Amino acid sequence: MTAEILLQTLASGVLIGLIYALVAIGLTMIFGVMDIVNFAHGEFLMLGMYASFWLFALFALDPMLTLPLTVLMLFAFGVLLYKLVIRRIIDAPMLSQIFTTFGLMILLRGAAQFLWKPDFRSIENTWVSGSVKLFGIQLGQPQLAAGLGAIVVTWGVHQFLTRTKLGAALEATAADKEAAQLMGIDSHRMFALAWGIGAACAGAAGVLLATFFPIFPEVGANFILLAFVVVNLGGFGSVTGAFWAGILVGVIEVMGGLLLGPQYKLAVVLVLFLGVLMFRPQGLMGKA
Amino acid sequence: MMKRTILFAALLALLVALPLVSSNPAHLNLAILVLMAAQLGVAWNILGGYAGQVSLGHAAFYGLGAYTSTMLLLNFGLNPWLGMLLGGVVAAALSLGFGWSCFRLKGHYFAMATIAVAEIVQIVFTNWDYAGGAVGLTIPMGERGWGAMVFADKAPYYWLALGLLALTVGATWAMERSHLGYYLRAIKDEPDAARSIGIAIARYKQIALALSAFFTALGGSLYAQKELYIDPGSVLSTALSIKMALVSILGGVGTLFGPVVGSVVLTTIEELTRAAFGGSGRGTDTMIYAALIVVIAVFYPSGLIGWWRERVRHRKARRAQLAANAEVAA
Amino acid sequence: MRETMIRALCAAVLSLGFALGAQAQQEVKIGVLYPLTGPAASSGAEMKNALELAADIINNGAKGVAGLPFANGGGLPNLKGAKIKLVFADHQGNPQTGATEAERLISQEKVAALVGAYNSNVTATASQVAERYQVPFLNPESSSASLTQRGFKWFFRTTPHDDLFVHNFFDFLKELEAKKKVKVGAIATFNENTLWGNETTKLEAKLAPDFGYAIVKQLTYPAKSTQLTSEVQTLKAASPSLVMQSSYLGDALLSMKTYKELGFAPDMILANNAGFTDTEFIKTLGKDAEYVITREVWALDLANRNPLIKEVNALYNSRHKANFTGNSSRTFTGLMVIADAINRAKSTEPEAVRKALTETNLPADALIMPWKGVKFDATGQNVLGRGILVQIVGGTYHTVYPFDLATQDVIWPMPKWDQRK
Repeated sequence: MTAEILLQTLASGVLIGLIYALVAIGLTMIFGVMDIVNFAHGEFLMLGMYASFWLFALFALDPMLTLPLTVLMLFAFGVLLYKLVIRRIIDAPMLSQIFTTFGLMILLRGAAQFLWKPDFRSIENTWVSGSVKLFGIQLGQPQLAAGLGAIVVTWGVHQFLTRTKLGAALEATAADKEAAQLMGIDSHRMFALAWGIGAACAGAAGVLLATFFPIFPEVGANFILLAFVVVNLGGFGSVTGAFWAGILVGVIEVMGGLLLGPQYKLAVVLVLFLGVLMFRPQGLMGKA
Repeated sequence: MMKRTILFAALLALLVALPLVSSNPAHLNLAILVLMAAQLGVAWNILGGYAGQVSLGHAAFYGLGAYTSTMLLLNFGLNPWLGMLLGGVVAAALSLGFGWSCFRLKGHYFAMATIAVAEIVQIVFTNWDYAGGAVGLTIPMGERGWGAMVFADKAPYYWLALGLLALTVGATWAMERSHLGYYLRAIKDEPDAARSIGIAIARYKQIALALSAFFTALGGSLYAQKELYIDPGSVLSTALSIKMALVSILGGVGTLFGPVVGSVVLTTIEELTRAAFGGSGRGTDTMIYAALIVVIAVFYPSGLIGWWRERVRHRKARRAQLAANAEVAA
Repeated sequence: MRETMIRALCAAVLSLGFALGAQAQQEVKIGVLYPLTGPAASSGAEMKNALELAADIINNGAKGVAGLPFANGGGLPNLKGAKIKLVFADHQGNPQTGATEAERLISQEKVAALVGAYNSNVTATASQVAERYQVPFLNPESSSASLTQRGFKWFFRTTPHDDLFVHNFFDFLKELEAKKKVKVGAIATFNENTLWGNETTKLEAKLAPDFGYAIVKQLTYPAKSTQLTSEVQTLKAASPSLVMQSSYLGDALLSMKTYKELGFAPDMILANNAGFTDTEFIKTLGKDAEYVITREVWALDLANRNPLIKEVNALYNSRHKANFTGNSSRTFTGLMVIADAINRAKSTEPEAVRKALTETNLPADALIMPWKGVKFDATGQNVLGRGILVQIVGGTYHTVYPFDLATQDVIWPMPKWDQRK
């Protein structure tokens, strides 16, 4: 187990962890603002990937170029989904909420297969193809770009939440919906905004992923469990928590795989996750 | 009350007689699937509905039951009836560790923890060669009959599934009326009040969990004896856990027959849409099924039974209202 | 007078009834059970295409495929031209769903036989149902060796199974060493942690010492991985000269990309079909797919020995803009075999069909597979099948083994990543 291998593994863990973080940020925001666990979140990722793919395949536009467009489309889709479906279950019991989003998950996967067939797609020869050697380790350019993109988006969301009025309104709604309403903040607008941003973040993760990961209707399934773990570990509702938990989960996953065998890598993450929950039920940065 | 009991007994008799009346194996198979899903839902409901603890990892118990009875059968020749019972005991025993570590978690955190536990169990079995690993375990179709719990026809499986469902419903009914049921209702509706009058919350939740795990495991053994092949994907997946909770929610959590109603609706629709549309490969049946879930979850949050009760109550109120109006007018 | 009239009327009605009865035997229903949705859906879709092509040829004939049985169309000749009707069912990759659908196909749709199901674990449960109902089950693609070790009487498999394929691998290595004077060093196995991946690796681990090879690392990764970097790292650290890999498409792509990224280039990557022979593999990886050797069951370049391969492939290509793959070609062949059996049985009665299946003896030139023929042994396994090895060179698959079938010499070892143009 040379230093080079350890460093290499660590690097790839951080990079994939940043993707997990980006997916999780949207998920945690939705939860933070309205207490709903979105089982269909992986499908926003999938839609982001397909959007990138079709723009690339039909118009030869690089995913990095179309990233803003895809993000906007996913934002709109998130808002639409809120207005059509989610709005109705805001005050429903937790179970109904879980199963609504679960049903949406299956519906979106089915729709993707229906529209675009189950074949695997991929985007090749993009602006970020290839790999570079940094500090003696090989790093794939798509993964680097994805990691950087994740950091940028997270920072952007964080700035939005802490520096803008709209962001403050969102946080207020998350903290206390009624109090925020009393101060004139329209909860429904905030919820729609949260869904939009959540979908947009997952969509962005999808675009970044599409440069190196195969695209198929069920791809969300590969990421959703880890996204939940990250959200939980970071603390439901905490964007910063999701960010750091994402990186942590990524690193634990690859290191666990390296040290104990890849067939156990997920188990390592889950065991550690349960361990943290037992001692700190609210997650690393959640509210107690 | 008498009328209800007669109606109920008639329905039960009809259900028992079904295989003798309908000779269509596919219909009978559908009935068996409905019964099995209903039984799992009723078992889940003990913890999820009555105790209010939403578990999305119940497949762990299901798989433990299936694997315990199958491994005991294949490696020690143990009779599946005994194996089934032992499977239930194993699941209940393991649920103790599960409860002890997870019960202090609330709401979504608890649900997430249950998913994590079930996934870990699945990974363990996938990598455990003695349990067949990813290759799975096959039960040879040697000896048949009630002794071996392996049958060539469908009818005995039907009765077995019906019997298991009746047993699970019976246990739930008994629990409902017992002290346990009373405490669980208190814990679910007013946990702080319950704690303040000294109810040992953790203990009763644990009992509910153990019961729930026990019956879920029995269902797992039944599956193994029916399909004669199990692998981690078919008895330990999170998708299965979700289904168990789904039938209860759609039917009505915390009600005795909610999961049964939910299973009838959900399983039938799933199977019929797949039979009708599955062959095209476009995934239409999946979308219809999913749309149905969304519609019921959104518009009928207290499940189909809750909706029905509401309707009945509404109609009674209307009738009373009309009667009152008529009186006034007269 | 009246009596005669009545008698004549009766006779007329009866003969009409017989005629209608004979007319009613216009269709032979065959249940086809495949993963049309779910993780293996893309394979399921191409196998569906293959089945529809085969049924179409049998029913309506086709031009330019003279050597193929039933090429003249018009249905099954021995059943008065009864046409094949495919009844599709989706098992979604779930063994219980497979069993349920098999049940439905047999008891509701009253199919004469079942064909399917690609995934070995679904084939296991679905064929169990067929065995219970005593209905023939023809399995064209599942490679788990255990499927023909269950003592079933109604289960017939045309494809060679993993035991044979793994033997092929080692036979190839031995012959390669002799022929090209190279030495195959340490072997590492790399497989997805599912039924097929695990069974293949177990066989490889068992046979390697028998052939005098050492396996220095057995690496198993979980399905649905989001990245394979640490796995490839571990592989690289073990310094194998040969990697024997069993991956489905997603991981095949991911691993190849990671190999390039980390500069991992053993002497050879010997893959076990599945993802490596999927149409998307070369399409996605382009040049990076070069030099990989994989087990296959079908290759277009074998048309030089059997023109039928090219002819039927042309038909498939004209409809679906893609060539046959090992999967779709086997599925196509599967339907041909069952149709042939039903035809020889002159009936759709299960025992007659079963008996006809046991008597199957199709010659090599009636098939689009590189097999010696189709003939089932007592366990229901086709003993005349064989696998081939293909190597990706210049963006296409070339048969390189068995050496007497090879259209091209094998390139060994693989050039390192930085030495490729």
